[in-house]
Amino acid sequence: MSAVESFINYKAKTGMQCGNYSIELPKLKPGEQYRFHFDATKCIGCHCCEVACNEQNNNPFDVKWRRVGEVEGGVFPNVSQIFFSMSCNHCIDPWCLKGCPTQSYIKLDNGIVIHDDEACIGCQYCTWNCPYDVPVFNKERHIVTKCHMCFERIENNQTPACVQACPEGAIEIEVVNKEEWLKSKIDEEGNAPGLIDARVTNSTTRFTLPENMPKTLEPADKDLIKPAHKELPLVFMTVLTQVSFIGFLALLLGDIASKITSLPGPNFSMAFAVFALSAIGLPLSALHLGRPAKALSAMKNLKSSWLSKEALFLGVFTALMGVVTLFYYFEVEGFLRVVLEIVTAITGAYGIYAQSMIYKIPAKPTWNRKSTTYRFFSTGYIGTLLLAAIETFIGNFAVVNILLSISILLGSIQIYLFFESQRFYDTVKEENPFYYQISKAKKLLENDFLKLYNFRKVSLPIGAVFLPLTAVIALNAGSSSFAFLLIALAVLLSFGSELVGRLLFYSSAVKTGMPGNFFAGNQR
Amino acid sequence: MIGKIKEFLGLDIKEDKYSLADDPLFGKISKEKKPDFWVKSTCGYCGVGCGLYIGVKNGKATYTKGDPTHEVNLGTLCPKGLSEHYMLYASNRTLYPKVKKNGKLTDVSWSEAYKKAFEGFKKVQEIYGNNAVAVISTGQLLTEEFYALGKFVQLGLDTRNYDGNTTLCMASAVMGYKQSFGSDGPVGSYEDIAKADTVFVIGANLADNHPIIVHHLMKNRKNKKIAVIDPRRSKTARLADIYVPIKPRTDLALLNGLAYIIWEQGWYNDRFIKDRTLGWREFVKHIQDYQPGHVAHITGIETKELYNLAKLYAKSEKSLICWTMGVNQSYQGTDTVSAINNLAIMTGKIGKEGCAPFSITGQCNAMGTREFGFTSSIPGYRKFENPKDREEFATLIDVPVEMVPDHRGYKYAEIIEAIDRGEIKALWVVCTNPLVSFPNQKMLRRALKKLDILVVQDAFMSDTAKIADVVFAAATWGEKEGCYTNSERRCNKANKAVEPPADSKSDFEIILEFSQYFGVKELLFKDWKEPKDAFEEIRKISRGRLCDYSGMSYEKIEKLGGIQWPCNEKYPNGCKRLYSEDMPFEHEDGKARFINAHWEPLQEDISKEFPLILNTGRTVEHFHTRTKTGQIKILDDLAPEAWCEINPLDAEKLKVKNYDRITISSSRGKVENLVVKVTQRVAPGTVFVPFHYNTQLINILTQSLFDPKSGEPNFKQTAVQLHSEKVPKGIVLKENIAGEISYEATKEKSSEKNKIEDKINIQS
Repeated sequence: MSAVESFINYKAKTGMQCGNYSIELPKLKPGEQYRFHFDATKCIGCHCCEVACNEQNNNPFDVKWRRVGEVEGGVFPNVSQIFFSMSCNHCIDPWCLKGCPTQSYIKLDNGIVIHDDEACIGCQYCTWNCPYDVPVFNKERHIVTKCHMCFERIENNQTPACVQACPEGAIEIEVVNKEEWLKSKIDEEGNAPGLIDARVTNSTTRFTLPENMPKTLEPADKDLIKPAHKELPLVFMTVLTQVSFIGFLALLLGDIASKITSLPGPNFSMAFAVFALSAIGLPLSALHLGRPAKALSAMKNLKSSWLSKEALFLGVFTALMGVVTLFYYFEVEGFLRVVLEIVTAITGAYGIYAQSMIYKIPAKPTWNRKSTTYRFFSTGYIGTLLLAAIETFIGNFAVVNILLSISILLGSIQIYLFFESQRFYDTVKEENPFYYQISKAKKLLENDFLKLYNFRKVSLPIGAVFLPLTAVIALNAGSSSFAFLLIALAVLLSFGSELVGRLLFYSSAVKTGMPGNFFAGNQR
Repeated sequence: MIGKIKEFLGLDIKEDKYSLADDPLFGKISKEKKPDFWVKSTCGYCGVGCGLYIGVKNGKATYTKGDPTHEVNLGTLCPKGLSEHYMLYASNRTLYPKVKKNGKLTDVSWSEAYKKAFEGFKKVQEIYGNNAVAVISTGQLLTEEFYALGKFVQLGLDTRNYDGNTTLCMASAVMGYKQSFGSDGPVGSYEDIAKADTVFVIGANLADNHPIIVHHLMKNRKNKKIAVIDPRRSKTARLADIYVPIKPRTDLALLNGLAYIIWEQGWYNDRFIKDRTLGWREFVKHIQDYQPGHVAHITGIETKELYNLAKLYAKSEKSLICWTMGVNQSYQGTDTVSAINNLAIMTGKIGKEGCAPFSITGQCNAMGTREFGFTSSIPGYRKFENPKDREEFATLIDVPVEMVPDHRGYKYAEIIEAIDRGEIKALWVVCTNPLVSFPNQKMLRRALKKLDILVVQDAFMSDTAKIADVVFAAATWGEKEGCYTNSERRCNKANKAVEPPADSKSDFEIILEFSQYFGVKELLFKDWKEPKDAFEEIRKISRGRLCDYSGMSYEKIEKLGGIQWPCNEKYPNGCKRLYSEDMPFEHEDGKARFINAHWEPLQEDISKEFPLILNTGRTVEHFHTRTKTGQIKILDDLAPEAWCEINPLDAEKLKVKNYDRITISSSRGKVENLVVKVTQRVAPGTVFVPFHYNTQLINILTQSLFDPKSGEPNFKQTAVQLHSEKVPKGIVLKENIAGEISYEATKEKSSEKNKIEDKINIQS
């Protein structure tokens, strides 16, 4: 140890930040923040930054805050091979922070976006939200973690691990004036091949790219297709709450209709059925959390997180439905019940809308479509089918006819949306900035999930239209028991179909991110 | 149960494990891994020789961090270096000496293992003679260990048949330097790479294999021209100003051709040639066969580009050529190295700042064995055939001069061939894994089966250790002390940070203890207790030699961050470059030689049956045969298996796409289940596969073709065929009218054109 001398203040002869354990950063003026500069002309794809990052933060090998990807273009021998090392871009409008229901993300005064580990419940919504695929779930910790630019090192004039480790000086820390950056520079220097437009989150990382890049640069992992997470608890939760909502809406309409027409009003068993769906479905969602014990804190960020809004509104909706169900149980009728039902329905409608907005994020191009919202509502055709089954059992055939008609109407919309999405996949062009994500989703459906996809194709029209229509015929032909059988069958098949559809919705949603490497992909 | 519920609820986020703590040297680092102390050392992977610190906590290595004051790496390390401490705790460590009992390797005591090996060797030597025992060592021991091993093998075991795996990588550079300059010894410094105006990188993929050297290459970048000459557009090629896609193994023709142009244009250095070289006239005559048009035809490089390159090299003030395996691992490796040296001495680009013909080494201490290993020379770059050298060495180490061998025995490949012939019956393999790294695996494996006894000394249960009769459990980097010499002749100190695990011992200890059984310890290693004793003897025997250690001490090496030999009274702090004006060349007349060697076409060229050229190489994540890096998850995950790079034109013919599985065959065998990677980085008609993997053992395909001078295998060019699922017969070659075949797919031609041509060919 005698030869060991303190070199914290050692200045590398090169004057570069790399190799040096100490760093001198200028003090920030108002409107400035720290950011990464990545020089793709210097990076040789050695992965030092990746390893150094994990060594610094004690992360297991499969939790990577920094990754190196690769793109290639041109024809031998005039080939461009470019590497990208990327961790967090410490965005000016970070979507992770915006979407986080527990306010676990903090943008420090110096611009670094850090994560409050204790507050995190492991919902992983940020891992969907970040279009750069930066936050990563650490199973062992039950929470999401991410790059924090080694802010504790920076505070002590120490070099962040990746910057220190890069042998080529390709990664640096700089100061950026946010206003100037957003004015125009971001468009010139904030974008890189394979990445989403920097304006989406107002990313701050500055890229230096080689001159004369070929027009087409393909990621090394362009053909590597990995399904996204199945999210089973969410499959059930979303389908059940959506079915519950339309079911409840039908209940409300039935209640109002019974006041002004001769139709019989809804009853306790119907109210209970729609309530039960949500009451079972909603708590299920806690199962997908890393830390279910802290599920309730998901409502913390009502200001900017659709997830918080969903949790609150669907929670209240379900509670109110419980009250409505009690009204039916104690046979409390009248104006008060209708008002309560209207309030409940409005809460539910907003809840389902908020639920759909969770998925309308640029990072998941196959979700980020208007049809997602429509689909979330029209899935509820099962709700009216279910009520129709109950009414058939009771013998209110007039109501059954109406309910089945609504089911067929909603079901038809659902079928349209399904085939519309198929056309969307089939017609995607290479010019589309999300070509890789969409075409990979298509390949997943047509290869990895072919059986489920085929089941969905067949089961949806049968469950949503064919069986209900046959039931209408059977009913009007006087065979109520056969009609009941058909409706019950339709309910079961449609449930199956929608659950499978939702499963495909999740597992085929290929994220935007960074170009990956040949074997490890983008390592998520 | 409660624990499970708690785990499910996610109550514990392991805050402590993931928090940071203050380290006095490196600042905020992981609290869980924060070392009790740091040990200054040198990296044990490649020949770059990076200085580093090993962090030790509770007797376990937890960190490796680059030494910012070390000139080689200035605080950086490659990904292998950064994760090097994990290597010590790999699951495949040898741990205990082993002896094969009933066909199964069983842990035994050291005395049992030594005795078994001793008796095996003794019996073979008694029946078949001393030379029936052969030893193959490595480039990864410490210099002190190499010296001890060499002495023991040559003087104690008394067998001439001793070589290192360095013959698989550096031998051609060694012989090339010897031919040209009279001695081995890389000429330049990394500083020269940094300061040069022009750098030619020939057959070297520095970005993958020596990332830290790229740091030097990229210095002074704006005033520097870099030309990368490589058949494959490697990661390094993309850093170049000029990428020269040379046809496989035509580099000797290119170098001779460049020499011709330099001569023709009068760009040579008359004074240097007159004062410091011999054989210019014959050389000029020799290069008349390499006129630009002809060379362009051979190499596939346009005449204009040839002039451009020649001018760039000759007219730049500071020109440097560096190379690695693309040059060395060739049937003509030695002569190609000398052809590089020819260019340097005809232009006087040697012995000056920024100028050198610079061989970059592969293993951490390939240099150590070259200097004092006693394989291709007597320690201290002495010649076997020189009686004066023999006598000097015998006197210095106090042994009878008759004991010192007067010739070199079999080289690596010759040893294997002799085993196959039944001439050699016992083999001792030290810290190398021929079962992955040697060419023509079928032949090798057939030969090894004929051995009476195979002893393997290794820290890891390599493929070769697994088939051994006796295994000596060695310690590895970080568990022992001594010196590593890097590519620029810098002798670095490697220190012991932790104890060797279980029953394993340092190679130094093993050699000394084993020598006792042969009764030579007193004679050879009198009073030797620790590596320092060997180091002192090295200082003594190297005094006055080119690789002079006499001015070094362990303390001085550490203080200066390594010392570049020669280090003596004249160069007390070492010497940056060899053969400056005041340092004559090592031939007796002090002059360098021009070497007149002719280019030869490939011995195994493409044929109808095997129409593609296979090139093998490495990737940054792995080291050699993956016995170490294959165990480090973060590295292995990035490159978990071998892949086959194929040009899109060939992929189309084979109807394969990325991630398909393919079989590759040569006349010696086939390798199945290779992942296809379609890429424009390889030329049509060529494929690339990394050699690291025992899972897809590409050396089944490579040939038993060796440089006659250095014995180095011709790894880089093998005629192969690819067999895809859809096109199992593989690629069909175009047949010319004359009946000759050629691979015709040039860059201009679109794939459609090719298809049409193929059709025409089928019809004709």
